[in-house]
Amino acid sequence: MSAILFFRPLFLAERGRFAATLLLALVALGAGVALLGLSGWFLTGASLATAALSFNLFAPSAAVRGLSFLRIAARYGEKLVGHDATLRVLGTIRAWLFHRLMPRVGALRPGLRRGDLVSRLTADVDALDTAFLLAVGPLLGSLLVGAAMVLALAILLPDAALVYAAGWTAATLLVPALFVRASHRGGAAAASVEAAAMLRVACLDTIDGHADIVAFGARPWAEARFTEEARWLGALRKSQGRRAARAGAAIQALAGATLLGTLVLGLRAHGAGEIEGPLMVGLLLAILASFEASAAVMRSVARLAEAEAAARRLREAATGPEAVIEPADPTALPPGGAVAFESVRFGHRADRPVLRNLDLCVPAGAQVAIRGASGAGKSTLLHLLLRLAEPQAGRIRLAGADIAAVRLADLHARVALLEQNAPVFLDTVRGNLLVGRADAGEAELWDALDRARLGDTVRAMPRGLDTELGEGGRTLSAGQARRLGLARVLLSRAAVLALDEPTSGLDREAELAFLRDLRSACAGRTVLLVTHAETEPGFFDRQYRLVDGRLLPDQ
Amino acid sequence: MRRESEREATRWMRSLRTKGGGPLLVAVAAPLLSGLLLVAQAMVLANILGRAVGEAAPLDALAPALALLGGLLTLRVLLGLIGETAAVDAAERIKLALRGALLARLLAAQPNWSGERSSGALAAAAIDRVEALDGFYARFLPASIAAATLPVAFAGFVLSVDWVAGLLFLVTAPLIPVFMALVGWGAQAASDAQATAFSRLSGHFADRLRGLVTLTLFGRGEAEAEACERATDELRRRTLRVLRIAFLSSAVLEFFAALGVAGVALYVGLTYLGFVDLRAAPLSLEAGLFCLLMAPEVYQPLRNMAAHYHDRASAKAAVAEIARLFDGLPALDAVPPAANAATTLGPSGIEASGLSVALSDGSRTIIDRADLSVPAGGRVALVGPSGIGKSTLIEALARLRAAEGTIRIGGRPLDAIDEATLRETLAFVPQRPHLVCGTIAENIGFGRPGADPAAIRAAAAQACVTDFADALPGGLDTPVGENGLGLSGGEAQRVALARLYLRDPTVILLDEPTAHLDAETARRVTQGLLDFARGRTLLVATHSAALAARMDRTLRLADGRLVPVPASRPIDASREDAA
Repeated sequence: MSAILFFRPLFLAERGRFAATLLLALVALGAGVALLGLSGWFLTGASLATAALSFNLFAPSAAVRGLSFLRIAARYGEKLVGHDATLRVLGTIRAWLFHRLMPRVGALRPGLRRGDLVSRLTADVDALDTAFLLAVGPLLGSLLVGAAMVLALAILLPDAALVYAAGWTAATLLVPALFVRASHRGGAAAASVEAAAMLRVACLDTIDGHADIVAFGARPWAEARFTEEARWLGALRKSQGRRAARAGAAIQALAGATLLGTLVLGLRAHGAGEIEGPLMVGLLLAILASFEASAAVMRSVARLAEAEAAARRLREAATGPEAVIEPADPTALPPGGAVAFESVRFGHRADRPVLRNLDLCVPAGAQVAIRGASGAGKSTLLHLLLRLAEPQAGRIRLAGADIAAVRLADLHARVALLEQNAPVFLDTVRGNLLVGRADAGEAELWDALDRARLGDTVRAMPRGLDTELGEGGRTLSAGQARRLGLARVLLSRAAVLALDEPTSGLDREAELAFLRDLRSACAGRTVLLVTHAETEPGFFDRQYRLVDGRLLPDQ
Repeated sequence: MRRESEREATRWMRSLRTKGGGPLLVAVAAPLLSGLLLVAQAMVLANILGRAVGEAAPLDALAPALALLGGLLTLRVLLGLIGETAAVDAAERIKLALRGALLARLLAAQPNWSGERSSGALAAAAIDRVEALDGFYARFLPASIAAATLPVAFAGFVLSVDWVAGLLFLVTAPLIPVFMALVGWGAQAASDAQATAFSRLSGHFADRLRGLVTLTLFGRGEAEAEACERATDELRRRTLRVLRIAFLSSAVLEFFAALGVAGVALYVGLTYLGFVDLRAAPLSLEAGLFCLLMAPEVYQPLRNMAAHYHDRASAKAAVAEIARLFDGLPALDAVPPAANAATTLGPSGIEASGLSVALSDGSRTIIDRADLSVPAGGRVALVGPSGIGKSTLIEALARLRAAEGTIRIGGRPLDAIDEATLRETLAFVPQRPHLVCGTIAENIGFGRPGADPAAIRAAAAQACVTDFADALPGGLDTPVGENGLGLSGGEAQRVALARLYLRDPTVILLDEPTAHLDAETARRVTQGLLDFARGRTLLVATHSAALAARMDRTLRLADGRLVPVPASRPIDASREDAA
């Protein structure tokens, strides 16, 4: 529960609504129990009544009708208020997650790009969001109904109160607790997560290595490996499911034993004349009705376990170390666009550096291309410049200032990055561009589009700048998407543009045209462009090759 | 159109049931049997209470009935356990079958099909989306069948005791779905629109998360977080308007359940008091209690189904997502290609004429009626600037990409060669080979399953893998791939060459095998390659003049055609060697 409790503040903001939900749930449950109990009492009483006139018919029949409608209204209200509160919390959790992830984007980047982290986070937010509605609320409700029932029995049928209390406590507290412990013992829950991760790896391997697998005739190998992982995951899930089934059966058995126990005690009390027949029948029927609440216990416990796991993952993602730390005492960033790398060393693993004592000096306004094989560390170079990662040694200067000492916001405002696979957001063309500069005017948007050679394409779209892009909207080709990303970067006020493979996905002809245009498109700004494409002389002020973690002059 | 695809999804989900086999039958049957026992349980309980209260029977006299009640309760617990366990088994069987079908669908496609899709999303479909079907088969399906049969059966039993109470149940229980549908009808269209809005909003949230790096770097994260919260709040307002109506349908269920209990209680009570007289014979207390005990149970199966309704919704959403990602729902009984004994075609040349390849979206022709002829045992270099289409050409020759025109390997049309024979005959190493999750040795052994460690070691040495692997703490047993060490492009390529050396192909297609290598390593890798390729047909796409110079012939790809390069003129794309 500790992980869910971590998110308590987000839920407490709606505590009034959640309390109302719980109260209404209790009223509904209580009305249901009372309805059956009262009916049993009334029915038995009526059958024993010797003369119709001696029996007060009016009060019980009015109560039966009243309880019916109370139950309907309470259920309806509970659903509505509960959903309202849950939807309110959903917005809060989403915004909270955004805030927490932003300083950690550097470390999260690979998962965000592949998309598996995104689908996990969205699913986890949904699971956490419904934790109260589907798990905590029903569990609390069934506990409280049990307590109320014990209280009623203690007054009316004291012998049975103890039996009922024991049975109810075991069913709603002990069995779920044992189930949760059994799930965690021997790392069963962790193994299941691990198995899912291994299956994902086997699946990603098959997709990413599709060509290799086909070319080497390794399809049976790939299928066998995938099936093996899927079977393992299935076996673990099956044993978890069986545990849940056993726990469910235990709850049902406890309910049965409680019923039998209270029945025997009730019959004995009735035989001894300690309790009237109608009251005993009413109480037994009420007990039977109260089990309706216990039937939902296992479902809620399973939901709670899911929510707990989701909360744990969210907490982990949102509280992990910030890869980049905002300087405590930031220095002002002087104007200018000069970039200098001084003996920069970096490796994702310290023993295998990608960049070794790399030096680079780009004067303000100069346009520089860095070529190199894929995997040579070209993108890493740009990521270091934006502090998406930190060098293990050396220093990077922007306009003379050490970038580790300036405010991140200042750095981001000065340097714009065109990422590899820069995203096209589900938004209009305009919305996509405004990410680059929120206050850009119509003319500036068109200017940026034209300079990225996308202006004519957008003009040809039916709704121009207001054309919806992405799923459900229009999809751009890979080349057009690159250009949209470039237009976004050009629109920003950044003095330094870091372009990561801006021409990937373009055919050779378009690539050459793009590189030829770049000088005028980015006139006056410092450009660091990394590419594995071949360039032609004259496109750039200087060209380098990244080899063995160092830069060598090219041409 | 949309309705049609929904209908197809429903059919497909039904055919998936057969994968559940015997356990699914047990999972469906157990609750039905348990329901019948419930009737007996209510009879015994009513009997005990009726005799105790009505006839003042002593506890001893009731003991056999109490024992019978205990037995019935125990039986129902066991049935519940059996049913649940079977449901879990059935769901796992179904998920396993479906995952296999999805993988088969994926592998049956051309590699560029999966290359054009997000691998993360495809993997999420095969793992998480499939998982979302669990609740549908394990819980919703048994619950819905019970809801369709048990209320009517219960009403039938009550009918035999008292026709008025029985009729009350018989009429109201089947009416519930009707009324729920009526109430839900108006809400349905609105709630569909709402569900669309909700999934769009979830999509919006996922989309912004995916682009979080960009948003953060442009200083837009803060604004997007607020926009996201605003949009969710706006959705909440609109959703609640719809929910107010939508929840009415569950209120209808509650209404009937309450009405059933209250109605029976009042009817029976009034009968006892003599205010109502619709029966031929007087009603015993036992019979009255039985009717009352059955009252909530008649409606319980319907409530169970309602409780699992969201399982159905999430399963449907998952199926729609799978259909979208995989271009339709996968065939469930796809027969994997027969693994017939592979033979090689023997020494073979490559012939291609009028070969054309267009981008898969049809926007551009990359290879345009190119002709190619490499004799058996011939060695040809393929040159041209990056992005001109060398890789595309090689992939088409390796039958990894659809192409027009004719390609012959060893004189036989490429299309006519069965898969196993083709892969035995022809080997292909892509430009960016994929390393699977495993050790370096396992990645090399991938080339020939069952290869012995000595052969793997020899292949590793020939491809200069040992150059870097021996410096690693784990040597060839160092894990690489997804969770392991990231190898550089040049290292990965050498591992892929070692894979090749474990095989015995007669035709070898290579895409830039020495890119990313320094001159000295490139020279040694080239030597290893030429040693292996002796007597085999070799076609190499390369930028390296040094490698091209060691081939018999060089072809340049320009404007979608292949043009011979005179042997005397050195090619200019030689920067790798300068480096």
